[in-house]
Amino acid sequence: MKLLFVEDEPVLAEEMTTYFSSLGYLCEQATTFNQAQEKINAYHYDSIVLDITLPDGTGMKLISTIRAHDADTGIVIVSAKDSLPDKLEGLNLGADDYLTKPFYLEELNARINALYRRKTLKGNSNIIFDDFTVDPLSKTLLYKDIEISLTKKEYELLMFFTVNKNRVVSKPSIAEHLWGDHFDQADNFDTVYVHLMNLRKKLSHHSQKDYIKTVYGMGYKFTLS
Amino acid sequence: MKLLSKTSISYLWVSFTVLAITGVLLFQLLRKFVSDETREQLELQTEMVAIALQNDQQISFPLVEITPLQAKKNDQLPIFRDTLIDDFVQQKKEGYYYLKEKKVIHGAPFMITVMTANIGWDGYSQAILFIFIIMACLLLLAGALVNYFINKRLWDPFLINLERLKQYSVSSQTALHLVPSAIDEFKELNEVTADLAKRAREEYTSLKEFTENASHEIQTPLMIIKSRLESISQRSIDEVVARYLVDTKQAVDRLSRLNRGLLLLAKLDNDTFPDQEQVNLNVILQNLLLQMGDLFEQRNMTLQTTLKIKKVDGSPYLLEILITNLLSNILQHAPKESEIRIELDANHMLFSNPGAPLEFSADKLFARFGKESKKQNGNGLGLSIVKQICITHHWDIAYSYLDHCHAFEITF
Repeated sequence: MKLLFVEDEPVLAEEMTTYFSSLGYLCEQATTFNQAQEKINAYHYDSIVLDITLPDGTGMKLISTIRAHDADTGIVIVSAKDSLPDKLEGLNLGADDYLTKPFYLEELNARINALYRRKTLKGNSNIIFDDFTVDPLSKTLLYKDIEISLTKKEYELLMFFTVNKNRVVSKPSIAEHLWGDHFDQADNFDTVYVHLMNLRKKLSHHSQKDYIKTVYGMGYKFTLS
Repeated sequence: MKLLSKTSISYLWVSFTVLAITGVLLFQLLRKFVSDETREQLELQTEMVAIALQNDQQISFPLVEITPLQAKKNDQLPIFRDTLIDDFVQQKKEGYYYLKEKKVIHGAPFMITVMTANIGWDGYSQAILFIFIIMACLLLLAGALVNYFINKRLWDPFLINLERLKQYSVSSQTALHLVPSAIDEFKELNEVTADLAKRAREEYTSLKEFTENASHEIQTPLMIIKSRLESISQRSIDEVVARYLVDTKQAVDRLSRLNRGLLLLAKLDNDTFPDQEQVNLNVILQNLLLQMGDLFEQRNMTLQTTLKIKKVDGSPYLLEILITNLLSNILQHAPKESEIRIELDANHMLFSNPGAPLEFSADKLFARFGKESKKQNGNGLGLSIVKQICITHHWDIAYSYLDHCHAFEITF
């Protein structure tokens, strides 16, 4: 997957590039409107992460430029403004998603992957790890040919982990992913734990492998090894 | 007391005093002029009687009495007085003036007494009193009428403006429009008020913009801290550092949630939310219950829901926040294994859960940072956001505690 990060804040651009490169994605960054415009005109990207407040122009104007080149490029607006008008305008112009800073990179990754599967792979994209197959279209999990029934939350949790492999994912970021960011999730970590244990049991029941490791105090890590 | 009644009453008192003084003066002056004239007339008559006597003519004046005078009484004359005399025609006593004067006729002193009817001062004073009372009443009536029309014509704009000022809020979208007046004082008042409202709104707007800008500016540094902390978390660290890191991340999360809450409140105070549409409130509620159902289940809470179809005009974005906040409030405060009641019908939406009574006054429930109990998580903004969203949609929200149950009821 080829990504472009349009972000004028150098630390954030670096963080995003570092994380997404570690996942094996091809990452490029632009820190100004003009630079972004040049790159969009010259190359094709699967997904573009767009900060709309840029020093030399608004990222909103880039959306139509991107759309003129490719209808299937996923566009995720990231903004410090938690602004509904901005969000509606962006989505109207052709953006696919809107995230308000501060967000978790794991969440951004989940959104980008969802867009990638829907728009670039047109849904024909089973996620395969070891003998497991996740079918995002039917939202089912198969072990070899056996279907493993998952609750909605367990499925969402599994997807969140498979896109954020080998990363320590914190409890708050999982909770935000499952229930949204409108309220304090500190009380819900117990529920995160319950879902997690159930998912871990279902996976290990068939494979005898523990995919989800607890990292003391910090969160959980999904690994294949 | 209203200004008009106050001035009317003063006006009335002054009118009565003026009328009473002028009435008495009028009576006294009339009396003086009339008796002066009468005296002149009687003096003339005496003179004429004296001349007639001198010329030995027949005295043909009515009410004339001529008596020879003893020397003793000389010094008292002339006497001018009023007296009562029997009027045998009308069968009653009538008031008369008489003048006794000494005249020397053919060398001998005589006292000549002449009389004339006076006009009955009792009647006069009654007539004057009567006229002045009528005048007072007419003045009162005229005053009331004038006041009424002044009220209509002059005070109406003032009263309308007063009503508009009562309705005015610096946070509302509509500007203050005052009805113009032709009266200088009111004109000035309008100018000053309009200026005051304008300045208040400007200050408010700049404060609001400041809050919004500050909140926005805080988001990016928060994001940097958050990302960097997550990056540190990926490294191998010892338990102590891990604990420090988790605490730090928790604080950052709290800070960013707080900041978002404040930002939303600042927006709710003034902004219009552009996603207004007809929303199925029951669908939003059902979806959120589905999404958050596992959280209730985890706490062994049972949900008793009675949901009817309810369509409202509003912002789906805000309505979702409204319901999420009320549900998360229950999750935070209701004891485990309790029964939660949620109702929605055409008139109201109710969220009720059992629990110990509040440790603080219910007034503070909806206030920003109003909670006194520090036991719970939450940033103290959730319920004030709920209240503000209700205000935005022109709904009433009420809290009640009955039969050991807390209840939030929204009336549409």
